[in-house]
Amino acid sequence: MNPQRAARTLGLSVIQAIPTIIGVILLSFFLLQAVPGDAADVIAAESGSATEAGMAAMRSHFGLDRPVLQQLEAYLGNLASLNLGVSPRYNLPVSDLIFSRLGNTVLLMFSALGCALAAGIALGAVMASFVGRWPDRVLSLAALLLYSTPGFWLGLMAIILLSVQLGWLPPGGVSTIGSPATGLAHALDVARHLVLPTLALAGFYVAIFARLTRAAMLEVSRQDFVRTAHAKGLAPAAVALRHVLRNALIPVTTVAGLNFGTLLGGAVVVETVFSWPGLGRLAYESVMARDYVVLMGILVLSSLLVIVANILVDLLQTLLDPRIRAH
Amino acid sequence: MTSTPNPIPSLTLTQTQTQTLTPIAATLTAITRRASLGLLLAGALLAFAPALHAEPTRGGTLTLLLPSEPTALVTVGNVATPILSVSAKVTEGLLKYDYDLNPQPQLATAWQVSPDGTVYTFTLRQGVKWHDGKPFTAADVAFSIGLLKKIHPRGRNTFANVSAIETPDDHTVVLRLTKPAPYLIRAFVATETPIIPKHIFDGADPLTNPAISAPIGTGPYKFKEWVRGSHIVYERNPDYWDKPKPYIDRLIVRVVADPAAAAIAFETGTVDLGYRTPVPLADLARLKAVPTLRFETRGNSYSYNVTRLEFNLDEPHFKNEKVRQAVAHAIDRNVILKVVNYGVGQVAYSPIAPGLKTYNDPTPSPYAFDLKRANALLDEAGYPKGADGVRFRVPLDYNPIGADGARLADYLRTTLARTGIAVTVRSQDASAFIKRVYTDRDFAFTTNGASNLFDPTVGVQRLYWSRNFIKGVPFSNGTHYQNPQVDALLEAAAVENDPARRVQLFKEFQQIVARDVPDLNLYQPEFITIANQRVHDHSLTADGVESNLADVYLQ
Amino acid sequence: MSTDFLSPSLPQAAPAVYAVSTHRRARTLRRLLANPGAVVGGALLLLILLAAVTAPWVFPHDPLDMVGPPIQWPGQDPEFWLGTDTMGRDIAAGLAHGARVSLTVGVTAALLSLAIGIAVGASAGYFGGWVDVVLMRVTELLQTIPSFLLVVVIVAIGRPSVSVIALSIGAASWPVVARLVRAEFRTLRESEFVLAARSNGFGHARIALLEILPNALPPVIVTTSVLVANAILMESALSFMNMGDPNAVSWGSMIGDAREMLRTAWYLAALPGLSIVLTVLSLNLLGDALNDAFNPRLSA
Repeated sequence: MNPQRAARTLGLSVIQAIPTIIGVILLSFFLLQAVPGDAADVIAAESGSATEAGMAAMRSHFGLDRPVLQQLEAYLGNLASLNLGVSPRYNLPVSDLIFSRLGNTVLLMFSALGCALAAGIALGAVMASFVGRWPDRVLSLAALLLYSTPGFWLGLMAIILLSVQLGWLPPGGVSTIGSPATGLAHALDVARHLVLPTLALAGFYVAIFARLTRAAMLEVSRQDFVRTAHAKGLAPAAVALRHVLRNALIPVTTVAGLNFGTLLGGAVVVETVFSWPGLGRLAYESVMARDYVVLMGILVLSSLLVIVANILVDLLQTLLDPRIRAH
Repeated sequence: MTSTPNPIPSLTLTQTQTQTLTPIAATLTAITRRASLGLLLAGALLAFAPALHAEPTRGGTLTLLLPSEPTALVTVGNVATPILSVSAKVTEGLLKYDYDLNPQPQLATAWQVSPDGTVYTFTLRQGVKWHDGKPFTAADVAFSIGLLKKIHPRGRNTFANVSAIETPDDHTVVLRLTKPAPYLIRAFVATETPIIPKHIFDGADPLTNPAISAPIGTGPYKFKEWVRGSHIVYERNPDYWDKPKPYIDRLIVRVVADPAAAAIAFETGTVDLGYRTPVPLADLARLKAVPTLRFETRGNSYSYNVTRLEFNLDEPHFKNEKVRQAVAHAIDRNVILKVVNYGVGQVAYSPIAPGLKTYNDPTPSPYAFDLKRANALLDEAGYPKGADGVRFRVPLDYNPIGADGARLADYLRTTLARTGIAVTVRSQDASAFIKRVYTDRDFAFTTNGASNLFDPTVGVQRLYWSRNFIKGVPFSNGTHYQNPQVDALLEAAAVENDPARRVQLFKEFQQIVARDVPDLNLYQPEFITIANQRVHDHSLTADGVESNLADVYLQ
Repeated sequence: MSTDFLSPSLPQAAPAVYAVSTHRRARTLRRLLANPGAVVGGALLLLILLAAVTAPWVFPHDPLDMVGPPIQWPGQDPEFWLGTDTMGRDIAAGLAHGARVSLTVGVTAALLSLAIGIAVGASAGYFGGWVDVVLMRVTELLQTIPSFLLVVVIVAIGRPSVSVIALSIGAASWPVVARLVRAEFRTLRESEFVLAARSNGFGHARIALLEILPNALPPVIVTTSVLVANAILMESALSFMNMGDPNAVSWGSMIGDAREMLRTAWYLAALPGLSIVLTVLSLNLLGDALNDAFNPRLSA
């Protein structure tokens, strides 16, 4: 593809992203202002004690006693210089807080999405090739069952079976604390901890991708160019892979990209069940703690992620189908 | 190691016996059986717990479990429980206390209170160094107390009478008070009054000082690293003043938010120590059968909690004394304890916890559990039953911190329905709850927990003193109770130097509030510390696991 | 929990234009009834609906009442055939009343999403131009914020009650419907019968509502069952995180309460979980069947 064109597309997407991000900030800011209570109330609640002077000092320390619009102005001003602000509750820059957990969330999301795509596409392909016969029906029902199961319940059942009863996998956390392992050993340790949360989060999406792949492959396989390929004498497997699957991946990648943002939301519950120190849980906790700078930082980041994901999906689709030109 | 003992025959009820009991009593009995077994087992284990003190083995890593992550590592401006759990490991206090709250030396080796109670003299320990090598002196103590008086959530009140802090020499500190403060000598535990280094904190805003998240102290453990959301690492301080302690090499604090996951972590040995019952109460009986775990109830005497029901005395229904008395007659504290807290704890009739034996008045409430009387009182109060059996509707807001609030609310809804009061439970998170109850005062009654802290003047007075009715301040006089007699008693007890007279004042106070019933005190939960069998000497003081853990060793 | 996945059909596929003819509709209905998935799904859903509707008569007492000895396994006590929970509450009553909550939340949320989504999508698709741009920006905005977090915030603003939860889920889920309806309108707007209507002098409102909308409905109908299903899943997650209505028993809150007892009394989590799975499954089966009925060329 033309690099100049790619650069232009990228630039346009970035420019179009800015109003979205500002919109996200405004919406979340005003929504959070509407929630009763503030950060000082939370700290007092947790401390079990408070004094009038102490609460006043805390509010002034958090900047909560300033008028609302002034607080918003200050935040936007900071954002313009790429500063996400400081969390008064943790006494840390928001970017530090987010980046300390970003890796864990990205790891979990990519692993879930990756597994879901791989398993989903494979299953969908199998379902499509046995269409109408019992493997298709059984797998379709299984996919539907997975799609209907709440992720947190799946996670809980998985913990009981695989962690407590069988002892194969750890029940939570991201790695064995205090272990001196580095390099490959550490990576394997994290991988072991990653299995169950990935399973819980990915289950839902495996079903989506499987069904989508199946439908897309069936749709594509009816089209003329596939009949031509068959007529040319290509082996059925080659037809399936090179022509059908490749084109069927287009709607799959679209949906995958669209779901990227909602993975973060679903991760909140999974991260809670597995004590996975990620952004989903941090976002939920910051709503509870009325720590709005942290929440807005996470939302800004997640919007960026969604936009980036959509750009990547667009690029990927151009690779898959040269007829789709980046415009 | 141990196997479940056979149930004692007298505690076993046959199936038919259970079924003839009323449902609530059946609930009571079934839980009693289980809890009794559990308590018996715990008792047996404790009895056999080795009190032999051979030379403690050195080395090893101890993993401490916390149910939520602290937002800071020193209890300077914020005393949330997670911070209390870690603060003392690095920053110590002048004194520590045994199970009965008798003071013992820590950073102070000797102390004297003048006969009239207005002069406190502390002799400080020599040869103590901060973790960065600088020497610990009286200037640090003076600075700490001065700072805490300004910004600590309780410091302003605790040190209210302190008019001057003198440091005649590098190892003596003198506090001069305007009036006696009989509770003050118990305020010097590490988590309540941490001694922080002046050379680090002086001159800068203490709340934003990076040392809050990377503390420097005199304690047995040095702060190493904090991986947010995951764990905190402390390492052994080789220059600790109390040689040869500490015995372990490393202390890792691990955050596990989900109580069920915490239970699993204990079973699999991923964590070694946790306190304040970090596992689901329903799981306790099962966990007590796990051979690698030990259970301890001592080490929770610095701060007893009382779970209570608070009325809003400005609300039209609860303004009426008869209505409040009716509610008092409608609750059965024994059932509440069993059903809400799985029997772990003891019933409390007074705002002063039963654990504070010196001051607690154990007389039961003048309003015993009697539903007929409750209904009669409501009729007398002018609230007849409507056609649907409902006299009036009220909302109930429960404090969402802790799992028992929701269960207590459910119990109250059920039992008050039997008197014709229709309760609508409202749930909200902690911040919204605080705002609703203390700022907006938009509530009828709430369930809440209050910590007695280390002295009734510090923990209980704030709930009943009419001058502590301040809108916007949480855990102040939420009921808006105003009784000049009670005010006088509390104010006198706050400065009463004679211990016997002080006890008398508090006993009188308890009798009056039990009669006036501005609130109902329900039970004192018992906090249980769970430890892996290899962990020893973790709860030797009143604050147990919240102490500096200098004595702990692994074997 | 995204409602982005509407149906197995391709998101970009331009739907065939369905003239509003009774002949077509009858054929669709017949296809629906012949589909085994529809039959099973429909039967299951009817059963659950029955349980929900008859709950106040079959289980007249408040399901939150403590009525029996605690932690009775299913079948252990003849009075409580599905057992009791940690506070002695009847599980069967909880499941039946929970069905009411789940279905109420599901249907209300779905209806709200449909109402907002159709309004927004139709306007954007029909008028195009800057109306389209503005409305799509707003839609994008809502899709960027993780929907679960948005629901949590809205519930925190109001108070956790069944109505607030239903409204907030509905308010967070309409973007998908809007996109779908917009795509339909954009295609249908250029079709011949619309040109004919315009040349007859019909106004915008009449064309949009009476001509285009009925033809745009098939994919929306398919989406409805998915909307209800996802609303039920989201409500259960909220209740599980203790943000549910404390005065009502919902399947999610039953699972949340059962979390502590997973090791010893796992039926407390399994039974309500199974109820959720069956309900959502029936809705998805129906959704699939509806889609197959409307788009016969995609079924095997």
